[in-house]
Parts: sequence; C-alpha cells; structure tokens
Amino acid sequence: MAFTGNYMPTSFKSEILQAKHNFTNGAHTFNLALYTNSSSFDASTTDYTVTNEVSGTGYTAGGAALTNVTPTTGGVVGFTDFADLTFSSATITARGALIYNTTYGGGTGTTEAVGVYDFGSDKTSSAGDFTIIFPTASSTDAVIRIA
Amino acid sequence: MIGLSSAGSAGSISVQTTSGRGATPEEVASRCVKKVISIADTADPAIRDQAQAFSNQVEAVIAHYMKEAIKSDRTTLYNILINSGQTELAEHIRRI
Repeated sequence: MAFTGNYMPTSFKSEILQAKHNFTNGAHTFNLALYTNSSSFDASTTDYTVTNEVSGTGYTAGGAALTNVTPTTGGVVGFTDFADLTFSSATITARGALIYNTTYGGGTGTTEAVGVYDFGSDKTSSAGDFTIIFPTASSTDAVIRIA
Repeated sequence: MIGLSSAGSAGSISVQTTSGRGATPEEVASRCVKKVISIADTADPAIRDQAQAFSNQVEAVIAHYMKEAIKSDRTTLYNILINSGQTELAEHIRRI
C-alpha cells in the first residue's frame, strides 16, 4: 500500500453540506497528522487513524493543530488555507499527511478527515525542522477548494 | 430536472526539512513572502518584473527583522539564564 495522490474525502463533501466543518479562524480545530508510505489513504478515507502514523522525536501521535485562515473566494471558487506548520527538533520520516477535524460538529476529540496529501516522496528531518508548507491561498492553488 | 454540481479539490502541500539545525531567517523569510505576495505567471512582463523586485525587497526586510527578533530573544534568554545562575550556559547563548 502507498500514498497515491491528494484527495478530498467523499465523506467530507457530504459533511460540509451538513455544516459539520467550520474553517473560520478561531472556530473548529483541525489537526495535521503525518504518515509513512505504508498508508493507503484515498477518497474513501473517513477518519484519522494511528495505523502507519509516523513516530519519532518531536512528533506526537495525532499530529499538531493547524491555524485556520478564514475561507474566501476568488472568481467562482471558494477556498481556505492554513498557516505553515513546523515540527521542531524532529527526527522523523513521512510520505504524506492527513488533515482532520478534532471539533467536528462542535464536538471534541473527533477524527473526521478533511484532506489527504501526498508529499510525492519520503521527507526526512534529523534533529531539525519538519515544516509543512501550504500552497498559495488562491482559487487555483489553495489547499482546499470548491469550484 | 434541476441540479447544481460543484467540484471540490485538495491542493498540493510541500515540505521543507532541515537536519542538525533549524531553518535560517532567510529560509523562513522566503516562505513568508510567498504568503504575502503572489505573482501570476501570466502577468504583464513589466509588471511581473516590478512585482518580483518588490517581493525580493520585502523578503530581505523580513529576514532582517527576523534576525533582530532572534537577537532580542537571545538577550531575554541570556538574562533568564543569568538570573537562574546558569552563567556558563548564558555565555554560550550570548556568543551564538
């Protein structure tokens, strides 16, 4: 099994129609978790899992919380963004990431998947910074877009 | 039949890593300026060049003030260590 690209989970598409996710800054809390290439995430992924999650110095199971950038629009596209995220003093190797909502529907400790992201190759930090760089917040590049 | 359809998509995330050190102010400033200024590939060449020059200047300013912040934070750390009796460690911090 392996990462095979970036996916917006099908379950997420349904959940946004049910107003279960709120990306407004300061609203819901979204985490980013890192995974090895043994993972098999795709559009059918529904939730965060500890299976094949990376482990190592500077990384805690569940990943880390992201800072939301309030959604906006460009042309006919709606999109949202997050601030870059750094795992400091980390010794880890990851092939991809899963963003999930820890306050889905206003709850706590929830795990509903929001996006699957493939780094394209294994990325490694050794006693250094492992920084997730989000794309430009635009209608063509933003990390989550609805056209 | 009336229907509306829409396509959702996930953009690409990139990763920057370091080994045996943290990111330099220049590396962080480079990421920062890309969040602040976006230059379209399709922009008029004259405008694109001007925007790129402005972007480079902003990046240099950000890097400079990040270095200032780091130096100031080290001063704070130095004083915390001095006040807790860690004079040798404080001296190491001051010399970085």
